[in-house]
Amino acid sequence: MAHDEGASRRTFLKAAGTAAATASVAGCTGGGGGQQTTTGTETTTTEAETETETTESGDASGEFPVTITQGQMPTTLDPQNHRSTPTDNVVLHAYEGLLGRDQKGKIVQKLATGYERQEPGRVRFQIREGVTFHNGDQLTPEDVAFSINRIVKQDVSIASPQADQLAGVTGAEVVDGQRAVDVMSDGVNPIVFSLFATYCDIMQKSWVEGRSKSEIAQQMNGTGPFKLEEYQSNVKVEFSRYEDYWREPAAVTSLTFRAAKESSTRVNQLLEGESDVIVNVPPQAISRVKNNGSTRISAAPSTRIIYNAMKYNVEPFSSPKFRRAMNHAVNLESIIENVLSGFADPTGQPTLEGFFGYNSDVNPFPHNKSKAEQLVEESGHAGASITLHTPVGRYLKDVEIAQAVANQIDQLSNVSCSVKQREFATLAGELTDGNLETSPDFYLIGWGNATFDASQTIIPLLTTDGALSSYSNEQVDQQMNQAQSQADESQRDQTLQQVNKTLHDQAPWIYLNRQYSVYGVQNRVKWQARRDERIDAYAMEPAEGQ
Amino acid sequence: MSMGRFLLKRSVQGVFVVWGVVTAVFALRYVTPGNPITFVAPLDAGQELREQIARELGLNRPFYVQYFDYLVSLLQGDMGYSYIQGIEASKLIFARLPATVELAVAASVVAVVLSIPLGVVSATRRHEPADYAATSFSLVGISTPNFWLGIMLVLVLSVQFGLFPTSRRGIGLAPAIGMLVTQFDFSGLVNWLAHITLPAITLGTYFTALITRLTRSGMLDELGKPYVRASRAKGLPETLVRYKHALRNTLIPVITVLGLQLGTLIGGAVITEAVFAWPGLGTLLIDAINARDWPLIQGSLIVIGTGFVLINIFVDALYAYINPQVVH
Repeated sequence: MAHDEGASRRTFLKAAGTAAATASVAGCTGGGGGQQTTTGTETTTTEAETETETTESGDASGEFPVTITQGQMPTTLDPQNHRSTPTDNVVLHAYEGLLGRDQKGKIVQKLATGYERQEPGRVRFQIREGVTFHNGDQLTPEDVAFSINRIVKQDVSIASPQADQLAGVTGAEVVDGQRAVDVMSDGVNPIVFSLFATYCDIMQKSWVEGRSKSEIAQQMNGTGPFKLEEYQSNVKVEFSRYEDYWREPAAVTSLTFRAAKESSTRVNQLLEGESDVIVNVPPQAISRVKNNGSTRISAAPSTRIIYNAMKYNVEPFSSPKFRRAMNHAVNLESIIENVLSGFADPTGQPTLEGFFGYNSDVNPFPHNKSKAEQLVEESGHAGASITLHTPVGRYLKDVEIAQAVANQIDQLSNVSCSVKQREFATLAGELTDGNLETSPDFYLIGWGNATFDASQTIIPLLTTDGALSSYSNEQVDQQMNQAQSQADESQRDQTLQQVNKTLHDQAPWIYLNRQYSVYGVQNRVKWQARRDERIDAYAMEPAEGQ
Repeated sequence: MSMGRFLLKRSVQGVFVVWGVVTAVFALRYVTPGNPITFVAPLDAGQELREQIARELGLNRPFYVQYFDYLVSLLQGDMGYSYIQGIEASKLIFARLPATVELAVAASVVAVVLSIPLGVVSATRRHEPADYAATSFSLVGISTPNFWLGIMLVLVLSVQFGLFPTSRRGIGLAPAIGMLVTQFDFSGLVNWLAHITLPAITLGTYFTALITRLTRSGMLDELGKPYVRASRAKGLPETLVRYKHALRNTLIPVITVLGLQLGTLIGGAVITEAVFAWPGLGTLLIDAINARDWPLIQGSLIVIGTGFVLINIFVDALYAYINPQVVH
């Protein structure tokens, strides 16, 4: 459910929370195509069923062109050679995965009609029949196995930057005599289906092998609802509706992606009818979009958390009391209301509400200045002077958030805090060089986790060997190892919830806000924002009476 | 020295300038903080994946090997592949070049068409209302930030009155002219004009103001010189004195500034490009710098440097035409 005019964020969360709580699947089995599928404790439906309901009221016979303006153009059209959301938003109209997610984050079947765990470390996907690539060729299990291997095996075609997205997956092979593919993992890999619901777009083996890397970056041949008509790098990508799509053809007849880096430019394009959907409407422009008459705001909480990491092994951040004090010093509600115009949610643990492993008993730290000062005294670090490093322009209002945080900490009588603005490239280089010593002691950063599973935030960011970790705790490491080998869903959920409780109490971060995806949409387009930051034009249809 | 030898000498110098640019930019990549792998690989990528990507991009080789290979490739017209996009850097750059050149030339045309008459009027009607108006305009034009002017023009002329598109490039000039010539269809040209007017005004306003001031001061300087008094004493019509003699001499510094500014525009119209979502070389370069996409950075700077060199050769030729003493 999205945050359209009239609907409040709180209402949204109430409704969406329950649905998304079951979004992550672990150790589950799947059923046949087009059927409701029971997977452990959750129920999934094929996306075909979901979409049939929406296309009935659409006008699939008439012309319905849609233009979407993002902040950036795709870096490539190769769906397996990038790690950017704007690129995903474009390529996922032509390419599809075995599984997918609906607007609320729930797993749905796409090119797989069934999926089940064969044994620890091996799962099987049944491949849908009657699916054709845009060049007219049939989808085969060989294509599926090749696509998975192209991502996880560095000697197949490219060294895909998405290899880590399919964490634990070691390869895929076609099952003899069946229209099925087995995917092998290193260990149990309880989140394997969740990973495939978010990642791994399927490409045609012969098409890829017959083209250079540069050609694959500029051409497309997927099974998705839209086929490429024209690509002008950094200018526009034009699609037309794929009439032989395995589901009902899309209501949108032609789809154009453009980019405008300046948010004011995007807003003007929307207001003038030059674009139908724009991304990242800034808080100060929301009323213009709402009051225009022909446009509206559609917003949804995203999968991205903004936080301030505090390096665990340097003073004063080595003290849990000092770290908790920093959390109490920050008035998160005020930041959300005044800096982000209410389009954010407070957090108190690394896992977001609606994710697998979220602990609903853990609340955000309340703002309490005197308690913060007392904890600083108790920590033995009274008089500490700290500097918050923040990237500029990487996340919504990042500098403003950092300045507000620093200002609130600075108001404590026994700590002084300043902000250091950093270019993202340099800051990210320091965080990812594998050496904790080179990282700033205290920095603002954001993390998106489209798998809807707690492990994909905690492992990279808060375990000792995590690639971006600023924290080390033996108990957390042990519990995460345990969670990654637990096939039983409820046990794993409990383990992850315990980890989240520990991480709240130990406060390795100042838990800030859950970022919202805020879109401007023409009223003629019926569409609601998704939780995973993706813009799915297949779900768009003409609004009634338009 | 003949004109041909003069231009040849300038061209040879230009080649060394471009080589210098290539070398300097290549050296910069080793002292600039930030690693392109950060952008190609995910933030949480393991060391093995990072090393694999580094090998694939050729970043694991010694710098002198990379430099030599790059020079050899460049001589063959190969600028390498963008780290981020995986596409030939030259293809990305030359796809942007027409939009960049169109905008730079359009802004220069706006500047020349408005500024020289304004400067002349201002100088010849000194301390009259026309002079005050022109100097006030130039003061405001020089003081107004590009981004503010662009946004205001869009809000008023596009959003409020709907006279122009808010942004984007529309059809290119070459296809628009093609439509006109082959089909006698003006719609392409109208579309091109509609899209380029606001960016050209935004970008051209500063230069209009600058050149107005330059023309005014140059003209005043020339009009006070003895040769002008002599011309007037000989009974030469005032029109000829002003426009044939004084203005011609005034134009030499104006052409210098115009040439330098045109070169700057080719690589530096970043703000205007961002405000109007104009797909130019400036934003491509900034994006490449932010992503440490070195093949694209180097390629863009080489093209911009070459543009500068060519414009300067052209300006030198114009000098020589206006004042043949320059050649000697």
